[in-house]
Amino acid sequence: MTTVRWLRLGVAVGAAFAVAGAIAHAQAEKQPVYVGALACAECHEGHGTGNQYSHWLLSSHAKAWASLALPEAKEMARLSGITDVPEESPICLGCHATAADAEEWERVEGFRLEDGVQCEKCHGPGSEYMLVMGDPQAAMRAGLRKFTKRDCEVCHYVKGSHVAVHNTPKVDVDEAWERLSHPIPEGGAETPGSPLRAGSTEGLSDAGPHFTGTHTCGECHRGPMMGYQYSLWRLSPHARAYASLSTPAARQRAKEMGVDEAPQTSPACLRCHVTGGGRSVAALESFSPMEGVGCESCHGAGSEYSPEGVMRDPVAARKAGLLPLTEETCARCHEDAHGKGFDFEAASAAIAHPLASSGSADAGRNNGGGPRANGGSLVSAAHDVPESVLEAARYSPEALSGEERRAKVRASLEVEYKTPVNLAFTPDGGEVYVACESSGTVVVVDAKRRQKVAEIKVGGHAHDVAFGPEGRRAYVSNRLDDSVSVIDVAARRVVRTIPVGDEPHGLLTDRTGRTLFVANTAGDSVSVIDIESGEEKRRLPASRDPWSVSLSPGGERVLVTNALSRFVGFRRPSMSEVTVVGADGRIDDRWVVPGANLLMGVDWHPSGDYALVTLNRTKNLVPMTRILQGWTITNGIGLLWADGRVDQLLLDEPNHYFADVADVAFSPDGRTALVTSSGTDSVAVIDLEKLVALVRGAGDEERREVLPNHLGQSLAFVSAHVPTKNSPRGVTFAPDGHTAWVANALDDSLTVIDAEAWEPVARVDLGGPRVATHIRWGEQLFHSANIAFQRQFSCHTCHPDGHVDGLTYDIEPDGIGVSPVDNRTLRGIYDTDPFKWEGTNVSLARQCGARLAVFFTRIDPFTPGELQALNDYTVTVPRPPNRYRPLGAELTEAQRRGKRIFERAYANDGRELAPTERCVHCHFAPYYTDRTQHNVGTQHPLDREGVFDVPHLNNIYDSAPYLHNGIAPTLEEIWTRHNPYDRHGVTNDMTKDQLNDLIEYLKTL
Amino acid sequence: MKPRIALLMAALAVLVLVPAAGAEELPYVYTKWKHFTTEDGLPNDHIYSVKVDGPRVWVGTEDGLALIDTPSGKVVKTWKEEDGLPWRAVTAIDVDPNTGDVWLGLFGGGLARLSGGRFDHWHQLNSGLVNDVVYGVAVEHDNVWAATTAGASRYNTRTGEWAIFTEKNAPMEEIWNYGVDYADGKIHLAVWGSGVLEFDVATERWKEYVDPDGEMEIDLYRDDGINHVITTGADFVDGVLWVSTYFGGTRYDGRHWKGYAEQDGGMPSDFVNFVKGRSAQEALYCTDKGLGIITDGPGDTWVVYTRDPDTGRGRARVTKSGEVVELVDMPISLTHSFTIAADIDGNDLWVGTGEGLALAIGEGYYPGLRERRLYAYGPPAPGAPGAEAAAGHAEGGDGAAEDEGR
Repeated sequence: MTTVRWLRLGVAVGAAFAVAGAIAHAQAEKQPVYVGALACAECHEGHGTGNQYSHWLLSSHAKAWASLALPEAKEMARLSGITDVPEESPICLGCHATAADAEEWERVEGFRLEDGVQCEKCHGPGSEYMLVMGDPQAAMRAGLRKFTKRDCEVCHYVKGSHVAVHNTPKVDVDEAWERLSHPIPEGGAETPGSPLRAGSTEGLSDAGPHFTGTHTCGECHRGPMMGYQYSLWRLSPHARAYASLSTPAARQRAKEMGVDEAPQTSPACLRCHVTGGGRSVAALESFSPMEGVGCESCHGAGSEYSPEGVMRDPVAARKAGLLPLTEETCARCHEDAHGKGFDFEAASAAIAHPLASSGSADAGRNNGGGPRANGGSLVSAAHDVPESVLEAARYSPEALSGEERRAKVRASLEVEYKTPVNLAFTPDGGEVYVACESSGTVVVVDAKRRQKVAEIKVGGHAHDVAFGPEGRRAYVSNRLDDSVSVIDVAARRVVRTIPVGDEPHGLLTDRTGRTLFVANTAGDSVSVIDIESGEEKRRLPASRDPWSVSLSPGGERVLVTNALSRFVGFRRPSMSEVTVVGADGRIDDRWVVPGANLLMGVDWHPSGDYALVTLNRTKNLVPMTRILQGWTITNGIGLLWADGRVDQLLLDEPNHYFADVADVAFSPDGRTALVTSSGTDSVAVIDLEKLVALVRGAGDEERREVLPNHLGQSLAFVSAHVPTKNSPRGVTFAPDGHTAWVANALDDSLTVIDAEAWEPVARVDLGGPRVATHIRWGEQLFHSANIAFQRQFSCHTCHPDGHVDGLTYDIEPDGIGVSPVDNRTLRGIYDTDPFKWEGTNVSLARQCGARLAVFFTRIDPFTPGELQALNDYTVTVPRPPNRYRPLGAELTEAQRRGKRIFERAYANDGRELAPTERCVHCHFAPYYTDRTQHNVGTQHPLDREGVFDVPHLNNIYDSAPYLHNGIAPTLEEIWTRHNPYDRHGVTNDMTKDQLNDLIEYLKTL
Repeated sequence: MKPRIALLMAALAVLVLVPAAGAEELPYVYTKWKHFTTEDGLPNDHIYSVKVDGPRVWVGTEDGLALIDTPSGKVVKTWKEEDGLPWRAVTAIDVDPNTGDVWLGLFGGGLARLSGGRFDHWHQLNSGLVNDVVYGVAVEHDNVWAATTAGASRYNTRTGEWAIFTEKNAPMEEIWNYGVDYADGKIHLAVWGSGVLEFDVATERWKEYVDPDGEMEIDLYRDDGINHVITTGADFVDGVLWVSTYFGGTRYDGRHWKGYAEQDGGMPSDFVNFVKGRSAQEALYCTDKGLGIITDGPGDTWVVYTRDPDTGRGRARVTKSGEVVELVDMPISLTHSFTIAADIDGNDLWVGTGEGLALAIGEGYYPGLRERRLYAYGPPAPGAPGAEAAAGHAEGGDGAAEDEGR
């Protein structure tokens, strides 16, 4: 070849590469974003396209978001432990909206979340493929998804939470597929879309009111405080008025009226079926006549009155064109419409959309006024609940029919309890402050009269309360809100809210009252707060799940118990820690408590010589079949000497266990300690002289090996058991030492114990409902050890706060020593069936029914009635908010990159990943589980099989360790150690920073 | 004026204005030393890192971590792997001033935290740490930075987020990070082959300091930037950036560069393992041939400490502009001339070497230069310049205390 030809060839090849590179680069550059159904309607509307947009508008999909305003939605949310209002819950929006998890930049102006399940939910974000729709191949390369019926089942599987409320049958996907199908008619051609455009101002004066569109009104007129006005409209026939013109019935009716043209273009029809009557009207870009009969049909074009400053002034609003609704307004269209009569009273009642009784425009502005936003709750206080509702909610020991059960659950959700968990005396001993979890309040009790005298609203899930040394301030941890409420004791109100770490539990001040120590349970840390400024001075690393705190009598140390054992390696004995913080607010030491877990309550002996902690000694390394010598879970105390030595003793007796030891308190004279057992509704009275003598009299080996496992020893130092009411938790002595007070969490009361006779002498009612509802009964069953052989444990034992104990167990049904499995959280498990790591339990009823009795509790199972109540309670265990990404928050750069990796369809080398190789294939919103079982290559030599249920990933950052057997202490290790053959997603091609980004994104789920 | 008074005044003027024989502007010289080796309880004599923490000194070695209590002067605790230390070789140490937690860079073992007696361990498999070969560690508010052989990692102790900095997102030509330092809102990474990279914590922007010569073999133009991109350490003190490389040292005050090379007569060697800035004027350079202290940067007055391998005696060499002005003999100084790490403890210095740890006790320490007589701190070595004058001075009975430049 001549030189010139070589040159030409070279230039041609180079140019080709350049073009290909440019295309590839261009394609790589343009990430598709969501454009919204209205944008699709530019082309996909009109008779030629089969009125696709109208077809969608008439479907339930278009109402999906709005339906979250219905009471049923709130009920389902409450049932599922969702603490947000449904419109603001990522879980609900995951199915009821499109692109709810997308960032702002991923949705163009004009995209509306309120359009519910719209085109791009199924077809993918459309900004790129909408430009090349004429070429199907090009469109698919640009992101147009070819979805399948499996994609429908992502949302349309049977959800217990939904069935429990509306009991509609499972969606017949095949039938729905046919019904929702919207093909372009054969022979039809894409028209330029509906000739109905937003009103044009051409030829019209710019002055005067313009139509803004109902969506603009909806920016304020939404949410509970505004009576869900926008949602109510979306659910009404008015919103479908334009779309209804596309139906065969409408065409028939038009013919009968002598209208030859398509109803959707006929002025005769549009006069009543769209805002503005279908004429050229002065309108803003935000307006689309395809919205049907919107707000402005009745209230007039809104551009002048819609600004907030005008709307707040009724007179000004009217002057600016706001029209009141009159019978004439409706009669214009409804009088004798299509031969139908019109009852104005009934019709206006049907579309009535008043403000909520305590409504305000501010509250409606995208602020659902959810329980955390204002510290309130989704349900009324007990005294607000009608007697009829209480009765309807009252538990029934008999098994209930489906409808009865639904009714009981519904009624139960209307009833709010207190659930007192911890308490503290004011320094002068005059009052007792009680932190109440369910009501998010502090109940104030007059100690002398033993009566409730006040109740102070604090934050969500109030857990602990402590006073400053002078008693002028009380501090309350709010474990749902990640905050501490500061109460002015004299004024009995919250004067400040201090943000702390994740899920705070125990708290106290130092002796000076200048520093506050807060155990951040989900953050594995202790916040050290300067009280005056409210600033966090430092955050100390505790161990796993720090729980309670106690200040030494001299004020030089704070002990912090940690509920979960340290990570100790696969199938190794537990190793728990008590973190010792010095007076300077720094870690002094860490005392190890071997073989123990669930260290919760703690208190210092008045002498300062030692402290007591409550603990479990869970024998998770042996099969649960071995009933002898303590069986699975023994319960006791740890004696922590001031020099760091640790002794452990059991409070169990050989045939009767002391389940769920919750808290401990010393009498002021130092002679007695009380320990609560929430599983057995009792308090153990410990003779400290005998206890110390027993320990000191034992040799080293006995203290190390025998005492911690000796079931009989408690008889030597426990002098009495005092019965309490349901589920005693926090305990404290009155400053004068004459009485001890116990918080009965599931009785909404306190028990007052005579500290000499060791008998209960009073029950202090905290004002909760007198009736145990169906769900409350389930909660009581959950926390009671009555279900277990010799009352050794309750459900709560392994699932404190409905969460995990961090252990791996060997459960019998698959064989002794075979398939040990990690404990899983109960938070947010509704709708994530099947259960069990092998996915063999299709429902909670099966999970907690007879099989539980055979393999766990070893005595009679729950009765059918009990099982229903238990399950109905379990699914309501609240899920905390995701701390890494609140709804609507932008992703960080790392999270954004991680999301792309999570959703990627190509490996780093450009190879296309099979669908089953992609993370999203099994882990998709809103629960990030496909609820089936897969083999992801994680079978361990101890496992009988390698197929496991796909776990849901919500708040996955908070449920270490990972994989079915808990072998991965961190998320990273799932892939760095346990995915050598890319069976758990293709990850071995990733760089380290890519894996880091993926982890960052996973934390936002 | 009466003659007697005039005579008196003249004598006074002479005393004040005429320097005493042998007096000139000279730096402080450490002549009191103490050694720590395995015989004193250290777990190993190969000292990789040293960190002063109030009344404590943490010592990282090839095989273990040690804690020295400075008031008592004793090794009070050691940790090896059997004691829970996650990895034997401790190459870097930093202390969180807020919590008191001790962060350890482990050579091949990742990152560890010692808090309340418990070790927590992060490595490539269980965390987002980019590489387990960690050369440097620095605490920056809630973040902990690790300089590794495959880039720098930043770990946020609150959120648990790991960020990695390599050539992908930082001006890193090479990614072998030898050191990291945090001060005054800036992180400085010393990168083998990429010079020094400065990260502004507030703006999250990078700035690089390289050798503008681009020459690997020589420092073609002096004082135009860092003298070589194979950097081993960086320390930012009082607005001055001190840099160590395998080809000398550099000082940068934000406007002017000053390079230091062995050929100039001050530095003991160009092969510098580590630099520790004491102030804008003074820095310690740990070289393979002794500890060099520049005492008047941007000047050129050095004190170099070495150990005679044959006699075991110590020596301090004082140079000014390359000229040796003092050569002080002392019974001991460094434990070995191969110096690897150093830290400053008030007036004292701790120097880690290839054969133990040396403590230089700074009685009467003063910064910079001060007028004093030659050999005020110790006798001259044989053949040292000014030895005769110093000997004469000593015979004159002047006490060293008078001339210690106080």
